[in-house]
Amino acid sequence: MSVAPVEDVEVADRSEVETPWVCIVWNDPVNLMSYVTYVFMTYFGYSRDKAERLMLEVHQDGRSIVSSGSRDAMERDVTAMHSYGLWATVSREQ
Amino acid sequence: MGLLDPPGFRRNRHGQVWMHLQPQERELLGNLLEQLTGLLEPPEPRAPVDPLEELVGIDPAAVRPADPALARLFPDAYDDPEAADEFRRFTQRDLRTMKLERLALARATLERKDPTKLTDQECAAWLAALNDLRLTLGTRLAVSEDGHEPYLELSDEDPRRGMYLIYDWLTYHQDRLIRALDKSLPK
Repeated sequence: MSVAPVEDVEVADRSEVETPWVCIVWNDPVNLMSYVTYVFMTYFGYSRDKAERLMLEVHQDGRSIVSSGSRDAMERDVTAMHSYGLWATVSREQ
Repeated sequence: MGLLDPPGFRRNRHGQVWMHLQPQERELLGNLLEQLTGLLEPPEPRAPVDPLEELVGIDPAAVRPADPALARLFPDAYDDPEAADEFRRFTQRDLRTMKLERLALARATLERKDPTKLTDQECAAWLAALNDLRLTLGTRLAVSEDGHEPYLELSDEDPRRGMYLIYDWLTYHQDRLIRALDKSLPK
């Protein structure tokens, strides 16, 4: 285990927190609207209203930001979306 | 659920989910799940596996799959190709293992007597497995938002006609399963 000074690391971490990351789900022609809604409700614990609104955003606008937070958390969300077969990416919030 | 009910997944009044399939449907689903398992199974490792990398699930050889269907099942997690490749090395092996486990779980239920009562875990495995099958077939058929117009232009002998029928049949079963699982939807 390293005992190197941690000050620099903390500064880097803080800037990451200030610029949150997002998980974006992209539209695709195969996934059923009911399935996408079900995944948003089941994985994120969103209400049906919120899950349907995000699903429709994906369907109509081609993409939707479905969650935001730390880079680690967004990578977990994207991996979960991939495990469900949804097409998702991580990026910095614009 | 009785044998006279239409085939598919259904939730009974006790909240249990049952799978009822015709024998030919069981056989076809078994074949499709087996084919997808073959597609997902990793190639033999070329070099001895580093035990530490194995332990933490890192696959240094993970790259974007050349097969479009596999690339759809394992999409890039970042727009930036370098970041996407780096992410793959840390996650692709686990994701592949998870998909294979779900395929195996779904296949195992086909060995049981019909109609078959499913556990929550088996329902989740079927839901994801049916979706992965549809993604694979949909990519092969280049399915678009515009529906099935290409289907109408295919000749009777074109093997893709059969694939379209299978794709629609998988869609039917997945839709039934979602209705069985999502209690707030009409049955």
